[in-house]
Amino acid sequence: MANYDVIIIGAGPGGYVCAIRCAQLGLKTAVVEGREALGGTCLNVGCIPSKALLHASHQLHEAQENFPKMGLKGKAPSVDWKQMLAYKSEVIEGNTRGIEFLFKKNKVDWIRGWGSIPEPGQVKVGEDTHSAKHIVIATGSEPAPLEGVAIDEKVVVTSTGALELGKVPKRMVVIGAGVIGLELGSVYARLGADVTVIEYLDTITPGMDGEVQKTLQRILKKQGLKFVLGAAVQKSEATKTRAKVTYRLKKDDSEHEIEADCVLLATGRRPFTDGLGLDKLGVKLTKQGQIEVGRDWQTGVRGIYAIGDAVPGPMLAHKAEDEGMAVAEQIAGRHGHVNYGVIPGVIYTWPEVAAVGETEQTLKAAGRAYRAGKFMFMGNARAKANFAAEGFVKILADKDTDRILGAHIIGPAAGELIHEICVAMEFGAAAQDVALTCHAHPTYSEAVREAALACSDGAIHS
Amino acid sequence: MEPIETDLLVIGAGPGGYVCAIRAGQLGVSTVIVERNRPGGTCLNVGCIPSKALIHVAEQFHIARLQARDGGALGISVSDPRIDLAAAVDWKDGIVSRLNSGVAGLLKKAGVKSIQGEARFIDGKTVMIRSEMGEQRLTARRIVIATGSRPVELPDLPFGGAILSSTQALALTAVPRTLAVVGGGYIGLEIGMAFAKLGAKVTIVEAEARILPQYDTDLTKPVAERLKELGVRVMTGARAGGHAKGRLNVETGGGSERIAAEKVLVTVGRTPGFDGLGLDELSLAMSGPFLRIDEQCRTSMRDVFAIGDVTGEPMLAHRAMAQGEMVAAIAAGRPGGWDKACIPAICFTDPEIVTAGLDPEAARAAGHAVRTASFPFRANGRAMTLGAETGFVRVVAREDNHLILGLQAVGAGMAELAAAFSALIEMGARLEDVAETIHAHPTQGEALQEAALAALGHPLHI
Ligand SMILES: Cc1cc2nc3c(=O)[nH]c(=O)nc-3n(C[C@H](O)[C@H](O)[C@H](O)COP(=O)(O)OP(=O)(O)OC[C@H]3O[C@@H](n4cnc5c(N)ncnc54)[C@H](O)[C@@H]3O)c2cc1C
Ligand SMILES: Cc1cc2nc3c(=O)[nH]c(=O)nc-3n(C[C@H](O)[C@H](O)[C@H](O)COP(=O)(O)OP(=O)(O)OC[C@H]3O[C@@H](n4cnc5c(N)ncnc54)[C@H](O)[C@@H]3O)c2cc1C
Repeated sequence: MANYDVIIIGAGPGGYVCAIRCAQLGLKTAVVEGREALGGTCLNVGCIPSKALLHASHQLHEAQENFPKMGLKGKAPSVDWKQMLAYKSEVIEGNTRGIEFLFKKNKVDWIRGWGSIPEPGQVKVGEDTHSAKHIVIATGSEPAPLEGVAIDEKVVVTSTGALELGKVPKRMVVIGAGVIGLELGSVYARLGADVTVIEYLDTITPGMDGEVQKTLQRILKKQGLKFVLGAAVQKSEATKTRAKVTYRLKKDDSEHEIEADCVLLATGRRPFTDGLGLDKLGVKLTKQGQIEVGRDWQTGVRGIYAIGDAVPGPMLAHKAEDEGMAVAEQIAGRHGHVNYGVIPGVIYTWPEVAAVGETEQTLKAAGRAYRAGKFMFMGNARAKANFAAEGFVKILADKDTDRILGAHIIGPAAGELIHEICVAMEFGAAAQDVALTCHAHPTYSEAVREAALACSDGAIHS
Repeated sequence: MEPIETDLLVIGAGPGGYVCAIRAGQLGVSTVIVERNRPGGTCLNVGCIPSKALIHVAEQFHIARLQARDGGALGISVSDPRIDLAAAVDWKDGIVSRLNSGVAGLLKKAGVKSIQGEARFIDGKTVMIRSEMGEQRLTARRIVIATGSRPVELPDLPFGGAILSSTQALALTAVPRTLAVVGGGYIGLEIGMAFAKLGAKVTIVEAEARILPQYDTDLTKPVAERLKELGVRVMTGARAGGHAKGRLNVETGGGSERIAAEKVLVTVGRTPGFDGLGLDELSLAMSGPFLRIDEQCRTSMRDVFAIGDVTGEPMLAHRAMAQGEMVAAIAAGRPGGWDKACIPAICFTDPEIVTAGLDPEAARAAGHAVRTASFPFRANGRAMTLGAETGFVRVVAREDNHLILGLQAVGAGMAELAAAFSALIEMGARLEDVAETIHAHPTQGEALQEAALAALGHPLHI
């Protein structure tokens, strides 16, 4: 039992960043986390392990596809799945240990166990009740269930189970063509699985730029992923080793079945607030179960804040982190701020996809006049030298002022390239500002500059 | 042959010249470009692109060899691969020839007339073009000298036979058993490291006290360590003498040594390519061995411009291109002047080094009170998933108002961070601006944000 200035519930990217920042600002801070390790979804069963497997499986793909083309000879490589999983675990451990170290360094207490809020100013963990002037809920999210699909995390799995399958499946069905489904679908397709992705909507990656959606689908298809779009999954029936998924095509209402030895349910995530006792406190939730917060991330109850996947907005680690920072500043009496207009999103397929700001669809819907400057990686020298010439950069700029409103990249290192645009957007820059910035040669980033040029005078290399 | 008249004549179709000509054509200026060799200049034919292609192959080969040797940390088993360098060079030549025809196509599309031949000045408005077809006189209102540079030769080591320039090294069809690289600048190290990865026993002979002398030791240390791991011997404060019977004479402070070197790569700098140009006819003002230019790239003679390597350091393709674009705009009657706040530079060694703006020493020398901070990749999640934890990002800012003066980084894949670095410096960003821009997770770019946070005294992940 102890008194704190701030107690944060949940040690994901939202919670742990908030805690570190609070401590740096001189507040006595504790974090309650029920998991065995710090880092939340992101470090334990999310971003980090998925990216480790994507990296390893990409190396394999590179060796199979491109080695012969560049004069590298040898027997075809094979996969040691146990070792690949061990590599992933090592990466996770390195990361979560890192957070433990940061807590020690910044003097943040880790209260182990699951927390609840019996009343404002108090957090109960097991038998102990701790008091805090401010409570931050950062309990994150969990995979959303789908009616008719029972999860056993062996044959029918969520992303969590998919990150540690006993073996590489021969046939895999992925339900949901969102970021997580496509990333993990890619991993297993590269490792040799026959992967079919079933999506309810008529496009993959809902909400993304339409041209990016089409290009990504075409490229993934070439890599062997199959797509069934506009299909409503009815149910799955599983035995110990196999499962059968039934879906209905929306266009003709016909019913189909598909068998697989692994089914990944990736239809989204929902906020996780179970056991906190929010009902009794009078903390309001939205229809989707997100905690309602004001501009200062405070819930309707004074002194109780919420951030990250548990509140509205994109479910992204860096959004959670930024809110964590801002709330910490707020609590310390400073001005925390999050610019929701400039939050990049990345898909770590090959090639990568990255986006920030408006899409052509949203601009059209808003009736805003814009120019789209596009440049294909085919015209980029480094991309050609590295077997990475698929995809493009598209910059959307205001027709009159040339101010950058959004950008969409599908191509090599898109996740790193997008930051230049984020910086430019934070400054309210025009496409011409990017065009007039000297970009090093030979880099993929030159394609960003060319797309900016294409918003006005026209690109050079196309 | 009939004499030609044109508004703008560009001599040399390297990145400076061809970009200038394309842009001028796009802006409606009647333009002719003369090139005695293949379009694309040093950069596409024997510089940036072929070297990066070789580096890419070498890196992939090296990864595969490590996987074969230690069973593969990533869980990919391969048999010991072999490199067929002749096939790799074919692959590289394929890329180069696609880029050659790409540039030729772009020139055509922009309405530029391309002439293959060697240009020689008659006077400030007239050149004689010599080609297989004979001689042709050309008069132009404005002339742009973009004849680039060529490797410097050492009197004791004239190019030919076992003594290679970078051009010849990039065309080798077998990996030499032993290779001495004379000159430890970026070109020598990039190519030397690639051959070390391909299996050559490499020795670097550098006259200065350390390799990559233009960078500070913090940045070069990771490269030096990597060289050691790759078994590359580095001799500093050493002078190369003659080469005979597979051995190179090297004099160090202590005495002299004959080191094994089947081939010797000489990369001791580049000198402007004025041969055959008839520059004597114009008696232009010089700046050392280079042409003196003003902020509009004008030489001392009216309407004669110079761009690219002929104008001196930094001899980089993207500087040449930016100059070319600017001169094209001026030729089209637009206002313009060189006002780049920075020209980023990338050294494609392993790990890569990126610099933009001022390093700490240069910033202090310029009279600023500075604060600097760096963030190491061993604390970056993306770096861990990529198995690339070497290196750091460093920021240099003014102490009083936190204006960012410079950004440097060393690490894997740093090349693509360069664009955000230059954008920030161009926009006059302060530390707070970077700290408060949301960076996608997990990306290497987060290290930039963390470095800014660290400079402000509160890093999150270290
Ligand atoms: C497979 C996968 C890949 C992903 N890839 C990316 C990516 O590449 N980039 C990206 O930006 N995002 C990615 N995400 C999303 C990202 O993981 C989340 O947006 C992020 O983790 C949200 O952070 P958070 O702090 O809000 O919550 P979480 O990370 O979910 O953390 C919440 C923590 O709170 C704990 N907790 C909950 N209730 C209690 C309680 N009552 N008491 C104590 N502890 C409690 C939980 O155990 C958990 O550790 C991915 C997600 C998945 C599943
Ligand atoms: C191995 C190597 C690696 C490099 N890597 C990089 C890198 O990664 N990034 C980077 O930015 N820079 C790099 N460079 C430097 C880069 O190649 C040069 O800075 C760039 O090519 C300069 O462009 P330019 O247009 O000034 O001249 P050049 O590219 O040298 O082109 C000049 C052209 O003019 C032609 N010419 C010369 N005289 C005449 C004449 N009288 N008549 C007709 N034509 C003529 C030549 O044939 C040539 O094609 C590298 C250089 C080398 C050698």
